[in-house]
Amino acid sequence: MTVRLSRRYGFFASHRLHSRALSDEENRETYGKCNNPWGHGHNYEVEVTVRGKVDPRTGRAIDLAVLDALAEAEILAPFRYRNLNQELAAFREVVPTTENLGLEVDRRLREAWTKAFADGPSLEKVRIWETERNICEVEAQAGEGQR
Amino acid sequence: MVISKKVEFSASHICRSAQLTDAENERVYGAAANPLGHGHNYVVEVAIEGDPDPVTGMILDLKRLREILEEKVLNVYDHRLLNREVEPFDRVVPTVENIAIDIWNRVEGSIRGRAKLHSVKVHETNELCVEYRGEA
Repeated sequence: MTVRLSRRYGFFASHRLHSRALSDEENRETYGKCNNPWGHGHNYEVEVTVRGKVDPRTGRAIDLAVLDALAEAEILAPFRYRNLNQELAAFREVVPTTENLGLEVDRRLREAWTKAFADGPSLEKVRIWETERNICEVEAQAGEGQR
Repeated sequence: MVISKKVEFSASHICRSAQLTDAENERVYGAAANPLGHGHNYVVEVAIEGDPDPVTGMILDLKRLREILEEKVLNVYDHRLLNREVEPFDRVVPTVENIAIDIWNRVEGSIRGRAKLHSVKVHETNELCVEYRGEA
């Protein structure tokens, strides 16, 4: 039987929303307080949803120890207590909005997925909370990291 | 259209499979493999699907859904040791995956009329949740 399992993780990081394609004035209008040149931070939460068959031996749809290790290696360790703009190559040019952060989390998980879960569950979606009110959902792109 | 109802129960369980060695059980289930058991406050969201009745504006009377969930799920699961007191967990590991599937099986036959069961979502903790949509 096939189920969808969601696992939630958290990390703290800082960022600044500022696009080089916009003027200073436009940046202030577009991002408001998030454009503060000194940056600011959030308690981010990431929810990873996978789709898989329940193994009758274990009652599990995914090996949670492997999923946790993958999330730690690909997302939490690289992002935790970081300045996203300055310390992550992906955000040197790309603005670290919740949307772009969601896409980057999805990309990192998909890249490592097949190696970790060769014949196992597929990555279905990623949700990321910047705050309780600001949430972005990324459906995993078919083809990569999928069975 | 899909509408869902949320209920909660508290129960204890032991996540150990007789088909695995002790070392495998520890690796797969971590601290949840403690043979003396531990518990959770489970949150269950049951979603039903259908078109609203043109007269009542409802897919299913939610009071009726609440009664079904109380009778079929809460009365069976609440404040129980799942491995000992709730079938099929005498022979199936009561992971959150298997709990979602079992709740589906218990509830599905009672959803009648214009409504059909859409999904059962069970939150074991804030960090772990499973959704079952009746797929093979």
